[in-house]
Amino acid sequence: MSKKILTVDDSKTIRMIIQRAFRAHDCAFCEAGNGEEGLAAAAREKPDLIILDITMPVMDGITMLTKLRQDPELKVTPVIMLSAESGRDSIAKIAQLGISDYLIKPFKEEQLLEKAGKVIPLTLKAAA
Amino acid sequence: MTTNLTNEVLDLLNGSVTEVFNTMFSLEAKPAAPHDLQASGETLVAGSVGFIGDVNGVVYLQVTAAFARVLASLMLGMSEDEIEGDEMVNDVVGEVSNMIVGAVKSRLCDSGSSCVLTIPSIVRGSSFHVEPTGSSNRRALSFQCGADHLLVELLMKPSK
Repeated sequence: MSKKILTVDDSKTIRMIIQRAFRAHDCAFCEAGNGEEGLAAAAREKPDLIILDITMPVMDGITMLTKLRQDPELKVTPVIMLSAESGRDSIAKIAQLGISDYLIKPFKEEQLLEKAGKVIPLTLKAAA
Repeated sequence: MTTNLTNEVLDLLNGSVTEVFNTMFSLEAKPAAPHDLQASGETLVAGSVGFIGDVNGVVYLQVTAAFARVLASLMLGMSEDEIEGDEMVNDVVGEVSNMIVGAVKSRLCDSGSSCVLTIPSIVRGSSFHVEPTGSSNRRALSFQCGADHLLVELLMKPSK
């Protein structure tokens, strides 16, 4: 069964890289460019996984995650947080947010797939 | 103390550039002798990200427009022909700049120099120079990726 992944990042580059990482897997994607759009997309699409950047305009990832956890229908949605900041304090703060995992940029596709695979079952696309 | 901090940031930049280019592009960015990117007359693309707080500065990442398209092609998994216009290329250069300076910022925070990043910005042109104001220091790092070159310029304001 196809898994739905919501990517929330203000960088179109990152959203494309994420989607490409899952090209061999049976996944459907939706995307948002900031936390506000992300919340709307999450409510509409009910994704199986959210990959969420921290630093974004309009609404950042931490605010979006806080609001997500207040929504009864979305609060258990697994979230993998993305960040360009790998400092000890940043990681400690991220870890306290009730996320499934986090990924520091730069990252390899394999790293993302490994972390996503621990959170949701990924199946390969059927051979054409 | 200012010179030591500048040298610390330069060392961090050196490592960060190498790591980002290896991870995101599978390219080796080797520290190299200074190379004048403008000598060829090609259009250049520069991504810049600043850091503000206990340490203050801005980093410019300069490549030729042609190399920037190669990087975009590698990062996005598309052929250069598939990349239309400059928007996606600019986004890639901005994101790479953000990753490079983000790693530096993280290490500075870990060592006790708290700071935050500015948003990335992009400059395009064939003849521009990054120059410091009277109160800041300019340092430059050159890298070679195969036949292409990368210039990283750091402007830092002296610490209080």
